[in-house]
Parts: sequence; C-alpha cells; structure tokens
Amino acid sequence: MVKLDESFRDHHRKYMAILKLDEAELRSRRAFFQITDEDLARLVKLRPFADKHMQEVVEDFYRLLLDHPETRKFFPDEASIRRVKRTQGEYFLGLFNGRIDLAYVEDRLRVGAAHERIGLSPKFYLGAYRRYLELILGYMTQEFGNHADLQADFIAVQKLVYFDVALAIDTYIAANLEALGRHQAAIRELSTPVIRVYDRVLLLPLVGALDSHRAHQVMEAVLLNIVEAQARAIIIDIAGVPVVDTRVADHLLKTTAAVRLLGAQTILTGITAQVARTMVQLGVDISSMHTVSRLSDGIELALSMLGKEIRDCTPKAAPPPHGEGT
Amino acid sequence: MISGTIPILRIGPTLLVTISVELRDQVADAFQADVLVSIEKTGATGLVIDISGFDIVDSYVARILAETGRMARLMGTDTVLVGMRPEVAATLVRMGYGMEGVRTALDVDDGLALLGHVLPKKKR
Repeated sequence: MVKLDESFRDHHRKYMAILKLDEAELRSRRAFFQITDEDLARLVKLRPFADKHMQEVVEDFYRLLLDHPETRKFFPDEASIRRVKRTQGEYFLGLFNGRIDLAYVEDRLRVGAAHERIGLSPKFYLGAYRRYLELILGYMTQEFGNHADLQADFIAVQKLVYFDVALAIDTYIAANLEALGRHQAAIRELSTPVIRVYDRVLLLPLVGALDSHRAHQVMEAVLLNIVEAQARAIIIDIAGVPVVDTRVADHLLKTTAAVRLLGAQTILTGITAQVARTMVQLGVDISSMHTVSRLSDGIELALSMLGKEIRDCTPKAAPPPHGEGT
Repeated sequence: MISGTIPILRIGPTLLVTISVELRDQVADAFQADVLVSIEKTGATGLVIDISGFDIVDSYVARILAETGRMARLMGTDTVLVGMRPEVAATLVRMGYGMEGVRTALDVDDGLALLGHVLPKKKR
C-alpha cells in the first residue's frame, strides 16, 4: 500500500523528465507566457483577496463538476469530494504565491498527472478552467470593480492559469505517448510468441500480416530463441497468416537459411490449400524447408529429428474384436 | 610463420578447430592450409569448425569457410560449422550467403554428435 502511494507520488517526476522541465525550459516557458516579475508582484498583492474568496471559488467550481453527469462520476463519495476540495483550495492559493520555480512546476504536474491517471479527459479540464477564470473575474470585479488595476491584475492571473494549463496538457500528451509506446512494445512482444513445445523444439505461431518490419523481428526472435533454448527444430505455423505472397515466402526462406546456419532446422506448418496453390503458381521454391500441412505433423517431424516419437499407449488389455472378416 | 596461429585439436577421428582470431588474408590462407594438411596427416573423417568467437563474419570469411568445407569434402572429410551467433546468421542471410552445402550445428557437442551419427552409418 505504501509502495503504491509512493509510486503515485513519483508519477509527476517522470513527466518532469519527459517534458525536460529544467531551469532553462522553465525560463523559456515563462518568457513565452510573458509572466513578468510585475505580474508576480500583482499576484502576491491579490493574496488577501484569494484567502477571502477561496472557499466560495472552490464551492462554485465543484458545483459545475458535480452537476454534470459525466464529471460527477469522478467523485464517488463525500469523503473524496472533501479531499479534492481541500486540494483545489491549496491549488487556488498557489496561484497567488508570486513564485514560479521548479517546485511550483512539479506541484502543477502532480495535478495534471492525477487527472490523467483517473482518466479525466482534457475537455473537462479545459471546460472547468474556463469556469475557474469566470469565477475569479467575477469576485475580482465585485471586490475591485472601480479599481484601475483590475484589468492588469486579471491578466496576471490569466497568464499563470494558462501557464498551468499548458503544463497539464503537456502531461496529458506525454502520458498518452508513453501508453502508446508501452502498447507498441506489447504488440511487438505478442507478435513473435516463441513457445517451447518440447525440449529443444520451438514453436512460433504467426498470426496476422507479415511485413518486412515484422519479418525482421521474427527472424531475430527465432534466432535468439534457438540459441537460448539450444533448439534443434523450430516449427513456424503460418495458418494465421492471411496472405502468403512472394515477399512473405522470401522472408520465410531467409529465416530458414539463418536457422540452418545456427545448426537447427525449420519446419513450416499450417500451409492451407490456398497457400500451397499460390506458392506454386508464384514459382516460389520452398524445397529447402520442411513443410507439412498440420501442426501436429510438424511436432511429430520435429520429434523424429530428435530421435523421439509419439506413440499410442492405450492399454491393449482387451483382445481385438473378432467381428472383422468373419 | 602464421601457420599454427589457429590450434587444431584431434578428437578421435575428428578434427576440432576453434577460430578465435580474425580471419584476414594470410591468416585465412594459413588456416586453410593447416586444416587440409592435418586432414592429410591424420586421415580424419570429420572436421568441426567452431566460430562461436566471431561477432562479425563478412563475405570473405564466409567464402573461406565454405571453401574449406568443400576442400575437406574432396579429401573425404565431412565438415560441420558450429556455434554461429544469431546476429551473424541474420547478417549472412541478408547478404545472400546461405552457405549451402556446409553442415551446421548449435555447438561443438552437437557437431560431434552429428558426425558421430554419420560415421556408424557409413561403417554399416
């Protein structure tokens, strides 16, 4: 439990690294959002105002989120609502501290990472932020309505809010890219599942189209696994490959040749009638491969290469029936 | 002078050559000559060439190895190439060197077994 909390707490650190958020990046962001020292001074000056209205802003803000059915789902019980309201209050006051440093950015990323983790999509985040600005402007107008600095003060708030929004959106995108990368790795892994069917016999069931990129991976995985398992034979089952054309055949031939160089043999199984016809019509010579139609035949062939065989061992207790031939 | 760089061990009727140095021009020549002279002297019926120490096998080395196998064959000796690394095999095949005609095995054990399997059959 403690471990889980810690990993969650460190989540945003990872994004700090991915987004390359260091002092230089921070300066660049600050410059682009035109956040001047004067703006920060204005925000500090607004701190008493923020303290005074914090409760109301948070309440109003959550009214929007809790009234909308889709965002309501993110707040399952009263306790969690109380908790997020407290966090939101701290966040709100954080806008009026008058400092933007790496600690501030880290704090903001924590918010973005938390939203991403619970699956709150950016549209709700952005929509909620619009309400946030409206609320702040409302209370500011109410408080300093006839003050000449109102516009400049509000712009200072707006600058920081947009600075925060940019960080949150970047976190969303970084998190999604990361997930995408993880999935691609998983697909790569799944696309070449080399199985040890017997001591020194491997099986690779190929499912789906075989493009050159994947063929490359297949060869690599096959060769590495052969050496690792000291395999004598690898059965490649192509029953799940939809189209076997000259290029696919060429990939298979190359893999077979490389497997042979290692000192093992390739058995190609799962050759359907259609594939057999195509291969011959295309003039593909696959005589260098052992080919059988069914996977079970392939397994038997592989075992025979190891000097082993599958035998029927049903007990012969009962004598054969005499009915035959009489 | 270069002759003898690559040790040739005799195990029963088989010669075992483990190549761990880079095969370059003169060394390759000396290797080929050494192996063939050893076959002549010992009358070995099998030759196991272990290349597990090779990270890279270029077309030149591949040709030398295949050639040596063919030469040994002429002298009645079966050659087995053992211990090729996966990345080497992949590279050779992509370059179009399938080294057809050369027998292969995973390691020295398997290579010897392969030759051993052949020998009793020949006697029978």
